[in-house]
Parts: sequence; C-alpha cells; structure tokens
Amino acid sequence: MSSEHGNGMIKDVSGAEDSSAFPAGMTTQKATSTAEAPLTLDQVRTKLSGVKGKRYWRSIDELAGTPEFEAAVAKEFPDAAAEWVDPVSRRGFLKLMSASLALAGLAGCTKQPDEPIYPYVRQPEDLVLGKANYFATAHPFPTGGLPLLVKSDAYRPIKLDGNPDHPYNLGSSDIFAQATLLDLYDPDRSQHATLRGTTTEYVDFLGAYRDRLNEGKKDGGEGLYFLSTSFTSPTLQRQWIEAQKAYPKARLVQYDPALAGTAFSKGVSPQYSLEGADVIVALDADFLSGAGYPGFHKLTREYAARRKNPAKGMNRLYSVESTPSTTGLKAEHRLGLRASEIPAFAAALAVAVGAAGISAPAYSWSAEQTKFLGVLAKDLKANAGKSVVIPGLYQDPSVAALALAINDALGNVGKTVTALVETDGLPFASPDQIGDLKALVADLNAGKVDWLVMLNSNPVYDAPADLEFKTALGKAKVSVHLGSHIDETGAEAIWHVPAAHYLESWSDVRAYDGSVSVIQPMIEPLYGGHTAHDLIQAMLDEPQTSAYEAVRTTWKSTIAKGGEFELGWRKALHKGWIDGTANTVAASMKPGAVKVPTPLPKEAFELIFRPDPNIYDGRYSNVGWLQELPKPVTNLAWDNAALVSGATLTKLGIEEGEILEITVGGRKVKTPVLVAPGHPDNAATLHLGYGREAAGRVGSGTGFNAYLVRTSDAPFYTTGSAVKVEGKWGIAVTKSHFQDHRSKMEGGDGSGTHSLEGNEAETRGVIRSATLEEYKANPGFANEGEEHPKVERDNSMFPNWEYKDNAWGMSIDLNSCTGCNACIVGCYAENNIAVVGKQQVRIGRNMQWLRIDTYFEGDLAAPKAHFQPMACQHCENAPCEQVCPVGATVHTPEGINTMVYNRCVGTRYCANNCPYKVRRFNFLLFSDYETESLKLMRNPDVSVRSRGVMEKCSYCVQRISEAKIDADKENRAIRDGEVVTACQQACPASAITFGNINDKTSKVATLLAEERTYSVLADLNTRPRTQYTAAVLNPNPELAEAPVEHAPAKG
Amino acid sequence: MATKDIKPEDPRIDPKTGEFRVLAPGFTFKTVTAKIADIVLTPTTSLGWFALFSVGGAVATLVIVAVTWLFLKGTGIWAVSQPVGWGFAIINFVWWIGIGHAGTLISAILLLFKQQWRNSINRFAEAMTIFAVVCAGLFPLIHVGRPWLAYWLFPLPNTMNVWPQFRSPLLWDVFAVSTYATISIVFWYVGLIPDFGTMRDRAKTKFAAYIYGLLSLGWRGSVRHWVRYETASLLLAGLATPLVLSVHTVISFDFAVAVIPGWHTTIFPPYFVAGAVYSGFAMVLTLAIPLRKFYHLEALVTDRHMDNMGKVMLTTGLIVAYGYGMEVFMAWYSASHWEFFMMWNRMFGPMGWSYWVLILCNIAIPLTTLWVRKWRTNMTFMFVMSLIVNTGMWFERFVIVVTSLYRDFLPSSWGTYRATKWDYMTYFGTMGLFTALFLLFVRFLPMIPMNEIKMMLPSAKITAKAKPAVGAGD
Repeated sequence: MSSEHGNGMIKDVSGAEDSSAFPAGMTTQKATSTAEAPLTLDQVRTKLSGVKGKRYWRSIDELAGTPEFEAAVAKEFPDAAAEWVDPVSRRGFLKLMSASLALAGLAGCTKQPDEPIYPYVRQPEDLVLGKANYFATAHPFPTGGLPLLVKSDAYRPIKLDGNPDHPYNLGSSDIFAQATLLDLYDPDRSQHATLRGTTTEYVDFLGAYRDRLNEGKKDGGEGLYFLSTSFTSPTLQRQWIEAQKAYPKARLVQYDPALAGTAFSKGVSPQYSLEGADVIVALDADFLSGAGYPGFHKLTREYAARRKNPAKGMNRLYSVESTPSTTGLKAEHRLGLRASEIPAFAAALAVAVGAAGISAPAYSWSAEQTKFLGVLAKDLKANAGKSVVIPGLYQDPSVAALALAINDALGNVGKTVTALVETDGLPFASPDQIGDLKALVADLNAGKVDWLVMLNSNPVYDAPADLEFKTALGKAKVSVHLGSHIDETGAEAIWHVPAAHYLESWSDVRAYDGSVSVIQPMIEPLYGGHTAHDLIQAMLDEPQTSAYEAVRTTWKSTIAKGGEFELGWRKALHKGWIDGTANTVAASMKPGAVKVPTPLPKEAFELIFRPDPNIYDGRYSNVGWLQELPKPVTNLAWDNAALVSGATLTKLGIEEGEILEITVGGRKVKTPVLVAPGHPDNAATLHLGYGREAAGRVGSGTGFNAYLVRTSDAPFYTTGSAVKVEGKWGIAVTKSHFQDHRSKMEGGDGSGTHSLEGNEAETRGVIRSATLEEYKANPGFANEGEEHPKVERDNSMFPNWEYKDNAWGMSIDLNSCTGCNACIVGCYAENNIAVVGKQQVRIGRNMQWLRIDTYFEGDLAAPKAHFQPMACQHCENAPCEQVCPVGATVHTPEGINTMVYNRCVGTRYCANNCPYKVRRFNFLLFSDYETESLKLMRNPDVSVRSRGVMEKCSYCVQRISEAKIDADKENRAIRDGEVVTACQQACPASAITFGNINDKTSKVATLLAEERTYSVLADLNTRPRTQYTAAVLNPNPELAEAPVEHAPAKG
Repeated sequence: MATKDIKPEDPRIDPKTGEFRVLAPGFTFKTVTAKIADIVLTPTTSLGWFALFSVGGAVATLVIVAVTWLFLKGTGIWAVSQPVGWGFAIINFVWWIGIGHAGTLISAILLLFKQQWRNSINRFAEAMTIFAVVCAGLFPLIHVGRPWLAYWLFPLPNTMNVWPQFRSPLLWDVFAVSTYATISIVFWYVGLIPDFGTMRDRAKTKFAAYIYGLLSLGWRGSVRHWVRYETASLLLAGLATPLVLSVHTVISFDFAVAVIPGWHTTIFPPYFVAGAVYSGFAMVLTLAIPLRKFYHLEALVTDRHMDNMGKVMLTTGLIVAYGYGMEVFMAWYSASHWEFFMMWNRMFGPMGWSYWVLILCNIAIPLTTLWVRKWRTNMTFMFVMSLIVNTGMWFERFVIVVTSLYRDFLPSSWGTYRATKWDYMTYFGTMGLFTALFLLFVRFLPMIPMNEIKMMLPSAKITAKAKPAVGAGD
C-alpha cells in the first residue's frame, strides 16, 4: 500500500542523503559507460547533477525508463520501486528526490517569460473571459479521422467532443479522441530539439536537413528514407507526391503497428450501413468497442438505433470472435473461436450461403460450431439483402474478402455494404506496410540509408521483433525522429525534433465516409513543435510554406468549385468539413480471389495480438485517463495481461496475477495472466502497447511488451508456448477482487457456470433483460415483482417537494450501451477528475465518477455480458444527504443531489450509505496541483478537488447553469435537449438521455415513463432520478441454449 | 448463595449473607486511609511502574507519529477505500466508547441501586471511562478527511448562518460523546473531592498539600459538605444513568440509521449497550486484577467484586448473544435478500473468519465458562477471559463496520479491506495512551474512594446512641 511506501520513502531518502557524503563524480564515468552494470543512486545523482536547468526533466525521462535506473531505485529504495510506476506517489517521490538533487534543475516544465507581461489592454473581439468558444477540428486517427468540436476557454482547448453537425459521428466521440486533450498537455512531451541527446535548436536541425536535401537534389534523393505512421492527411499525401517528383529516389515507408498487414491498411475499406440490417454478423470484428474499428461511431449509432424500440423490430447480432470484446458480449449469439480458425469459419460460412468460387479448408468443427454455422447461414439467407457480415480488422485479409463474398452472395452489396470511390484522386494506401518496413530494414543493414526521417512513429518500440529495428537504426548515417516524446526511438535517433500535437498545428484528415475535415490548431505549440508537413514541405520549392498554406493549397480547387474560395474556406473551418469531399459510392464491388489460411493445429498454443483497447498501439501510454480506465470485458487498468480462458488457466496451472513466460520462436516475454470470460481455450491474447520504457512518467513501466514476441510474418496470431514462472504481478482490476470465489460460492455449481456477482446481480434485479418474445408477451417485465408499481413510487405520507420549473433526470438505455467507455473519458475531461495511479486503483480508490458495471451471464466459457453505466443516481430520497453531519451534500431545488466541496469535512458517511457506491473520496491529494501544463487543461467551471473531500457525478451541473443563464437572458425556459451532459455527448450509441422530467413532453420524461424503464434498487425507496431501460435481446430460437429462466425482476 | 465449590467456612465468605465479603474484615477508618492514600503519597515509585509507564508512553508515541503522518498525507494512509469507507478509526472509536460504559454503569447506576460493592471499583472504573473516552474521542476528529475543519460538526454560530445537519447520526454522536465526557469528568471529580481533602491533610510535602488542597475545593468534611456531596453525587448519578443507555444507543444509530444491510437493524441500540457494558466490565477486570495484585488490594477488591463482575459479564454477554442470534434469525425471517446475503457473506464470505473470531471470543468461550463460580473467582482465568472478551468486542465492531460495507448492494462495487501499518499504529498507540494515562492516575490519585469504603465499615453505621465517628478524615 502506498502509505507504507510513503513511510519507507522518507526513511530511505534520508538514508540516501547520508550516502551523498561520498565524493561526487567518483563513479560518474562508470555509470555512463557500462550500460549493463546497475546504477547506484549515487551515480544517478551524479549523472543528473551535471545537468543544468530545464534539462532536468528530460534527463529524468531518459533515465526513468531504463532498467538500470529502475534497478537502482529498487536497490536503494526497496519500497519505492513500486512507487516509481505509480504516478501519484511518484509526484511525492519526485519532490523528495528533488530535495536531495539540489540544484539539479528544478525550474519545472513550463517556462515563465523573462520579460514583464501585461494583461489585455484591449480585449480580443471574440474573447469573453468565462465564456467558452467552440472550434471545429478533427482528430486524426489511422482508422479514420473524427470530426471534433473543441471547447476553448481563453484560447486553451479544455474539452474535445464530436462535431454534432458532422453526418459521420453526429457529435459522438471515443476514448482516444477524448483523451488526446490530456495528451496535448502531457508534461512529459519533449520540449527541445536534441542532437545526440544534447539540447539544440530546431534551426540547427533544419540547416543540416536542408543541406542534405540540397545535396539530394543532385541524385534524386538517393539514401533519403522516411518512415511514418500511415499518412492520414490528404495534404501530407499531396506534399509527399510532390516531394517524390523532386526526389524520385527518396523512399517513404508507412508503418502502423496495429494496422500493418490488415486489409484496411491495403486500402480495402467498404462502408457498412446497419440501418437496414436485420442480421449482423461480426467475424472477429469488434466494431462496437472503440475507434480501433473504422467507422465505429457510425456503426455503433446505427446498431443501437435498431435496438431502441424493440416493438418496432430489432436487429440480431451474431459474433464469431477470438478475443472477447464488447461486440461479442453484446451479441445475441457468440461463438468463441481461436483467431486462426476464423478465416476457415468465414470460408465455411461463405460456402454455406452459396458464395461462388470459395473453397473452405477442411477442418474438424465441433457439433456446436457446425450447428452455429448452419443456423447462421440459414438466418443470413433468410435475410438476404437485409443482413451484413463485418470482417475483423486484425485478421488475415482473407476474412475481409470472404465477408465481401458473403455479402455479395446475399445481395447485401449496394444495400448494407457499399464500396467507396475516392473522388479527389489521392489514393494513398500502402499495399504492404510490413513488406516495406522489411525492405527498409534490409536497406539499413546494407548501409544504403543515409538519412532516415521517422515521422511520429516509434519503430524501436513497435517494429516486429524479428526485424531488430534498433540495431538496424544504428546503421543509418543520420536518423531523425519527429515525435511528441523522446520515446524509445527518440532516444536512439541522432536528431530528435519535438512534434506539434494535432491541436497545435494545421492539417487535414478524412473521416470514415471520406469527407475531409480541416484540422485547425487550437493553441500555439506549447513547446514549439513541428509537424510532418514542415519536414516534407522542406523538400519542395517553397520550403517555408506553412502547414496552413499547404492545407489551403490542397483544397483550393475543391472549395472553389462551390464559390469563392475564401468564403468557402471559412465555411469549411466553421462547419468542420469541406463539402463535396465525401467519397462516392461505387456501383458494385466484386470479391477477388481468396486464399484462406488453414487454422493452426488444435493442440498448438495460439497467441493473438491486438492493439490495447485503451492505449491502442502504445501511442497513448502516457495518458493517465486511458491508463486508469478499466478496459472493457476485463476491467483491468494500468497494465495489460495475457488474457486466457478459465480452462486454459487451469491447464497452465496458474492463478490470475501470476507470471507466464511466453516463448515465440526463441523470443520470450513475461506477462501476468488474467481470465477473460469467453476467451477461446488453448490461446492467449496479448494486447500491444504496454511495457514501454520511455513513455513518460505515467506510461513507463506499466504492463509488458507484447511486441517482443510479435514477428513480421505473423502480426495477428501465431503459435508459441507458455509456462508458468515464479513471481506475481499485482494487477488492478476494478470489478470483483475475488476471482477465486467466482465459481465456488452460492449460486454457482462449482464449474464456473455462474459467477457470484453475476448471480447476485440477477437476483437483486440490478440487471433486467428479456428476450424479444418475452418482451412482446410481457412488456412490463422490467418492473415485475417490485413491491410498488412504478407509478406509486412517489407516493409518500409526507408532501413531496414541488418542482416548479426543472427537475433533472437521466435515462440510460441498457440495450444501446456497448460498454465502449467513451462516456467515462468524457467525464474525466469535463469534471477535472484526478488520476490516482495503479496502487490506489488496486485498493479501490479510482476516482471515475462514472463506471460501466459489467455483469456476465451464463457459462464462464461462453458468457453474455450486461453493461450498466453507473454514476450518481440523484435519488429523490438520497441516503447520502441524510447522514452528512455538515450538510455538504444536499438537494437542489431542481432535484440534483449536489456536493458542496468546500463544506465537506470528509466523514465518508455518505459514501458508506450510498447503495450504488458511486461516491468517490479524495483519500490523498489525488489532484495534481503542481504540474503547470495540466492547469491549462482544467475546466474552469469545475472545482479541482483537494484531499479529504467527497465527490461524485453532478449531472454536469456547470452545463445546466450555463444553459440556465442563456435561457434567463432570453427570458425563456430551458429547451429540451439544451443541456447535454458530458457522458451523453460522448456516447456513440446515444444510450444516455438527459433532461427535464417535469416537462412530460421531454425526451427523457418519455423514456422514463416507458414500461421497460426500471430503477436500480427501487425497493430501497431511494427514488433514483437516473433510471435504466431494460435490455431486450433478439435471440434466434434455433440457437436457444437450455431455456434461460428469467425470474421476475425482484425475487 | 453459597455453592458447593466454596465451603461456608471459607474466610472469604461473609457468614451473615453467605456471599463473598465486599471488604475483608478488620479494616478501620485509619487502615483504609493508610492503605489507599499511601500508595499515592509514598515518595518512592516502584520500578515496575516506571517500566510499565515507559512502555505505555513509548506505545503512545505511535499514535503521535501516525496522526502526524495522517495529517500530512490524508486518510489514504489507512486502509479505507471504496466501498469500505470506515475502518479502524470507527471500529476503535466504538470499542473505546463501549469500554467506557462500565465505569459509568458502576458509578451511576449501581450507586442508584445502592450496590455497595461498587465502592471499591468505582473510582478506577470511572477513570478508565474518562481515559477510554479520551482515546475514543480522538478517532472521530482524526478520521475525517479534513481534520482541521472537524469543528464544523459543532453548532457554532457563524456569519454564514450554516449549521450542522441535524438529521445526521454523526452529529448526534458529537452531542452524545461530548455530554458523556463532560458528565463523566464532573462526576469523577466530585467523587474525588472528599478524598482530595484526605490527601491534602496527609500529604508529606508542601507541594503535594498545595495541589491536593487546590483540588479539594476547601473540603473540610463538615456535615453540610457531606450533605451537599451526597446530593451532588445522587444528582450526577441521575444524570449519568440515562447516558449509560443513550450514548451507545446514539452510536448504534450511526449504523442503524443507514440503509446498508448489516447496519440497518432496530436491534442495535440495546445490543450495543449490552455489548458496551460487556466489554467495559472486561476492561475493568483487565485493570483490576493486576492492580489488586501489585498494590496488594485483595482486601479491598475482593472475590466478591470479581464474582459480581463475572455475573454482569455473563448477563450482558447473554444479551449480546441474543442480539447475534436475532440478527441471524431476522436475516432469514425477513425474507429480504439483502439481509440474507449479508449474513451469509458475513459468516462464509472472504472475511468470514472475523465473524467466527467474534463468536468464539464473545460467546463460545465466556458464555460457557462464566457460569462457574470457582472460575469467576480465579484471577488468572478472569484476566485471560477479560482479554478474550475485549478482543471479541473489537471484532464485533470490525464485523459490523467492515463486513457490512465490503459487499453491499451492487456486486460491481464489492471490495475488500486490509488494514495498513498506520491503522495498527493508531490503534495500538491509543492503547499505550490509555495505559500511560491510567498509570498516572494510579500514581497521583487515590484509585479507590476512601470515603466510600469507609462508609461501608461497621464503625460507619450510625446508630441512635453511637458516638460521632472520630477520625473519618484520617
């Protein structure tokens, strides 16, 4: 526990100070010359003591991630080693460290201007202090840009949300887009260009770069290589195409660790439309859980739209998947297969639905699998033209081709599946990213690479292990790294240039539908970063052209088509996208020849690689919000783990949290183990993106690095072996901490059929659901068995408070919620929620105001899951209010259960008495009051809570106040839909509705009045304002398992 | 009431009543005074006292260290978390307050019921109450997240017109405990006044005489003084008596008023009061047995006291056992799933061990053995028993606080609780504080009320023709 470390820390630091009596410098050279020998703390200190001023942080960064440093810390501070990977306690640690590192450079990370500064004499026209401005921009992401609307307070972006006007996402967003706000203000971003590790100026680099480019003009750029993540910006693509003309021999390699090798990266990106789809089949396609799947926002919205009113018919989702995802757990029918079996299954399905020219590899399917296949094919054929098969992204490209073949055979193409034709003629996909990277490494090793410029990529960390990229990189004569952090690659490269964040620079990006959004900068580069545009533009005739001019140039003709350019440009910036750029739909799309790989032998242990649901390929490692976010399905935070099935866990003879050594072709990695319900047997999923050594103060040292066993020939799945080794890794799982009791306790039969929690959740009526048949027979199923009918719940001996104007309420549709977590990250940003660190999460002190409770149902090996977003219920009869001795939590006249932070003394009685356990307490000083850059990020309308204060969901009361002020000014009532909470705004499934329940015509009042809507724990008479619409499932009767008894909601 | 195991001719038995004597025969006013006052007025302090005091003081410093660190870092140094928002601090608070109850019961209720045997143990039992309340009172102040604002719990007039929230049981606690502390101290002090007079008169140094003189408030032992003294004692006893019942009742409301299964129970008030007295008498025994031995007070604190205290423990223990039984019964009879699961989880869940420790220490061991008079008068047995019961009562509060909270309504929020070293340091620190305070009391104040013992002597019985007692103030 951190407190214990805390004490140890003090003691040990003072001990360390004693030892500083040794003459400094004695051991300096040794420490730096031999990387193998572990550093002593003395050596670390000496190393740092030579460093002046602002370089302190950079040096700490360089050191912090290295094993030698951690070993040194662990040796000298046995307790503190764990602290070091715990950002909150690490702050305390750094404070103490800095005390002993006197004068090593403690200026902090934000520079204060030396000159006197003055406030505005004349206020800028568009700035009213306290009144936010909103600007349209977009989040570039390799699977497609997300149009954003950025809330900017005094020119600081403080909240990112989807652009509500954009037809693609209609205002919804996802965890990555939300979290890039913290990424922008990350204090660990690199702040200076460096040459071989020493600070230099960007102009120095530019001079060297231009010299090289001038030289290159003579030989067409021979020896000039660029390595980048996928070019998402059409302008960048245009610039490169032009640069290629000037330097025909220069080479560009695009490599996205998560996407390399996928059909998507090869340019295959059909559009799916789920509006008309009655049957949806996901072939290892996790299109409901996050932006990792192209079109996530649109697909989730359309999926959920067909489930909001089951009486009017609803879709049916089948999922055939390997790694359990929220898509599979939401599906009516889920078949768990090993990843290598999916292409064969897809082929068998294609044959079964009568797709021409497909031959399925022979494989011994089990009776259950055969039955599933048969029923699935039958249902698809019955819904020809009204169905869709969606292929997995992280699958062999044959799956995408087979899905297209099936869709084609069913006549879905043109209806639910469409192909896009890029209208503006800038096709830019690399057919073989891995092959290109291999060629680059070969050239490096052959000494052909003179300059290697790496744009926003981190190949030292994430390139396939067999390429030995780090060694190869050393063979480039000059290597340049443009990146936001001095990461693993930045530390190896000769030049490092700090990259500007997308919110700091001009660019553009295409959304899923092909429409182009201009990325507008929201703030001057905090650390003077530069962009890929700058580096590529330097190769052209006008090297000084800014990214702004470059973007304008790209779209000049397109915009000018619709009228005057300047006008159109301003309109595009205002709206957030450029009209007429959406791709057009091709008349038809024909599947090509398919080569289906045969599944791995059944006895082989399969390893499945997936980008992490939270930190993706590692790019968001240093974003605390995402690290602390419980991952969907496993609820694991701060780490990754080898996910296995319960049966595999038993077979390996290992317990959760113990260490498994995974070997793939001689490469080894050690990882903790965690059970993922529904995971296929004899397989393990390794999430990429963890185990980083130079991610920053938050991300370094979390999890294990799955890239170490991922090779270029098997990017998605491979075989390997796994053995238990000694040791334990404390994993932070935010749900049940009692895995060992899962199958042993009451309600379980000992075989894992029931979990205690799931069983209790059902008995307690926390989760209520029915099948479509049951719902039709009994529309009021969700409130059956309650002691009081819904309409009588407000009856009381005592007069109720009379709500004159507004009475706020929320409805959450459990049928729509897919557990994608976007709401939680949105809440983080809106409400200045603190990140507490792994140790604190482990003991249950995570601060998220909103959580998504996941309850599994059915067999541990093949479960369904229910996702229930749970935040303060704003009970009419709130148990918390009655017990607070100082009246720090009270009811407002509009029915909000509100926290008065400055009145709270912290008895925690309210949290104890909250039946929903949604109150969060600042047990320690969790909020970061020190880091300058984070201060810029905070929402000025929400207090930053100090230690000893209770906090919880406020229904975004600051947004209500803002709407009220606006309404007051116009002398009108607040309109329905005018107040949108942060969670509601982020939700791609529109599962959350907020509004005035006093207005019986409001959307939320209608939803709350629905028969399917129930209150959680209604029998406690808390009369919660947040109520849930029970889920209705649409199972195929032919696949009915043993009939599931749906007991009355309350027993 | 003589039982077979004690022969009627046993010298410990009073032949008139057939019970153990309250006082050994042969005491006179002078010997009583000498016996009790000399313990205090002797210029030499035993090494044993110093040794124990050093240990107590050293352990008490733990609480200083722990609280300092707590104030610097926050309650997060403890094991409290979500969902277990209360931990050792509240457990210890209830435990210490409960311990205090025996002192008040002895000094007030037994006085009203004219139970003369109480006189010998009254003083130190009440001192125990005060020190227990001191230890208890520490916890509500330090357990809050922002202790520097803990005074907001008091209804202090302020310009903001903000008052405490009077519906909260925690606020009732503030009133209950502060009233209790005040009455206890006043009652204790009033009882001490005649003895301070005696001490003043017998003091061998000027300084001691001066201090005791100040404290005795000019006590001269006149009849008028005695009348006032007796009236004040009766009145204070009258005031303190309801407190014995009310304080722990109010404390039980902290739990009973909440909605959490395992807390939301109407049986809590009586069952808490009985439990408090149970643990309080156990603590009196824990203190009395060594005191009696080291200061050779067997003649004043006799087997009668041990026997009676054993009986009180047996009675209250049975009430507590009934309470446990009713909790289990109601869990089933209520047909409420919450209650049923809570009880099942309390017994067989991951922290079920704590429930069985509680049953073992509070029921299985004491309630089977305390029936035997021979054992009730066996000092070793009673000492061990008192420790067992105090352990059991601590676990009772642990079970109530922790096992109700860690798995409540929503299975998604279940957690666990594992105390940190800071929790233990604070807890043991208060034990050291208690020990140190008690040793100071033993050294500087008469631990047995001389005046009240003397009233029990045959020579104090006033008959029509008796001469006025001489030397009562000796």
